[in-house]
Amino acid sequence: MTGAAALQRWWPWVPLLVLVLLPVGIRETFYLDLLMTTFMYAAITLGWDIMGGYAGYVSLGTVGFYGLGSYAGALLLLRFNIPVFVSAPFIGVLCSLVGAGLGWIALRTRAAAFVIVTLTFTSIVQLLALNLKGLTNGSSGLYMPLLTLPNNLILLPFYYYMLALLVFAYFVSRAIRGSKFGLGLIAIREEEEKAEGLGVDTSLYKILAFAISVFFACVAGALRAQYLNYVDPDIAFDLFITLSPIVMALVGGRGTLIGPLLGAFLVQPLSQYLVFLLPSSVAGQLHLVALGVVLLLVVLFMPDGIVNAYRSARAGGSGWRGRRQTAPPAEAAP
Amino acid sequence: MNGQLLAQSLVLGILTGGLYGLTSVGLSLIFGIMRIINIAHAALIVLGSYLALALFRSFGLDPLLSILLLIPFFLLLGGAIQWGILDKLSSKDLTLTVLATFGVAIIVEGLQGAIWSSTYVSIRTPYSLSSVQVAGLYIPVVRVMAGLASFVLLAAVFVLLYRTNLGRAIRATTQNRTAAQLVGVHAGFVTTVAFAAGLAMAGAAGPLLGMLYSFYPATHWLLIGKLLAIVVLGGLGSLTGTFAAALVLGVAEQVAGVTLPLEWGPMLFYVLLFGTLIVRPQGFFGAVRRGSL
Repeated sequence: MTGAAALQRWWPWVPLLVLVLLPVGIRETFYLDLLMTTFMYAAITLGWDIMGGYAGYVSLGTVGFYGLGSYAGALLLLRFNIPVFVSAPFIGVLCSLVGAGLGWIALRTRAAAFVIVTLTFTSIVQLLALNLKGLTNGSSGLYMPLLTLPNNLILLPFYYYMLALLVFAYFVSRAIRGSKFGLGLIAIREEEEKAEGLGVDTSLYKILAFAISVFFACVAGALRAQYLNYVDPDIAFDLFITLSPIVMALVGGRGTLIGPLLGAFLVQPLSQYLVFLLPSSVAGQLHLVALGVVLLLVVLFMPDGIVNAYRSARAGGSGWRGRRQTAPPAEAAP
Repeated sequence: MNGQLLAQSLVLGILTGGLYGLTSVGLSLIFGIMRIINIAHAALIVLGSYLALALFRSFGLDPLLSILLLIPFFLLLGGAIQWGILDKLSSKDLTLTVLATFGVAIIVEGLQGAIWSSTYVSIRTPYSLSSVQVAGLYIPVVRVMAGLASFVLLAAVFVLLYRTNLGRAIRATTQNRTAAQLVGVHAGFVTTVAFAAGLAMAGAAGPLLGMLYSFYPATHWLLIGKLLAIVVLGGLGSLTGTFAAALVLGVAEQVAGVTLPLEWGPMLFYVLLFGTLIVRPQGFFGAVRRGSL
């Protein structure tokens, strides 16, 4: 193995090692919390991108699954005494099944129905959380018992669990990218009718991709509920959970492996810093405005994101498909 | 349920249905001509409510009269959004236009919260609590006014669309953009007019909804879900279908409200939305058109 190939193969482990060892040196809750939140968003963004980036279907329902995960985690703990750390992966699988059901309804037709269904799904879950008072305690929310850990260590299990979720999301996304399944999804994004004509079972592929993509938001929601020891409809259905991953994926670069990671590690710290700078009475509102403006600017001027723009600049190609190195030149060279 | 109650909810339902029609027909018009799902539609309706409230509080301007100011304002705003954002994307995929309107919705919501704070408000006019008595039924004045104003505005839009050359050009562009351009329709201009008209309908509906229900910046998420349900039920892009669906859902919501607890009302819309998508994705009322979803 040459040096370059070894670098190519092993470089993802270097930042991972740093992140694993970081809590040894850094004990400030602020930084660990920031990192943990960033891991969470990175994992959710990688998941979103399986559908939004690879298959080209935009979901506006991320927080619906996150909220479902939050409530599922809280209820399994309160009713059946199952710790969230144990139940979280199973909750993720449950959400994937729900996602498959939604996909079956929305994905037999084209993109418009999918947008509408994912958007209303959030409203439905939120309505259930508000109105099924016997189960969810309505708008008063559910309190969960604290973990029995010393105060200075209480953050660590969440830190590592979220990091593990992020690593898992990364490898799932990478495995999909390199597979026939992933190529099928990209074919769907590029030209759905042709993909179908070539024998890609487009409906099945899309449903499967959506089911996988919602897993991460759900697990993150469950973990976050335990981290806060509390869940109510406002916290569980925070608009930022839908908005931020979209902004992160677009800023970094949709349909790439590194883009969502880069986007999350850029946008989340900047977001936190912005909220810190703003007067607290309007911080949340102006944070919304800022992310909305970034979203618009990226959509208008850099829809391919940083990674794709960089790659196509290096390849001298154009557009976010610049990485297709065998693609014929779009225009004759002058 | 006795007859009196049924008649009452029928009348109220038709009045509310008119308001749903005013809001959802604009959404459907925009989808029809531009193939864009305007996620920001309800956020702009709520903006209309806030502007009417501000005008009412500052100048004592009646919400009904503020509609006359809001229509030109929203026409200009619509022109600006179309020209400055959506027109730059129209050649690209649905993905980007959805994200753009989603971004607009987020910005509008955030600005409203920063300016007017995130607490519930409502527009309380001197006649807010009075009712009219018609054939033994008591109907709140504001609901009569909102319903009638909606029907008048809707009628104006339908006259524009079905009785003028501009309207013919809009409908032609909706049906087949290339063919319309071939016979001399300036599709770009027509599209901008249609989008602006759709937003003007949203802006005009703002004060009417604001008189009936209290609102805060995030209420638009609930509203956009309802409107999209209406539009899908009516057949995405079909204007008459959307109007019919709006009336049906307006009445259904009122009738259901008699027996069902109030907080479950929105569920009716979602159930019908999902039911429609499972059984008949092209909608129930509109003409079946290829690629309508």
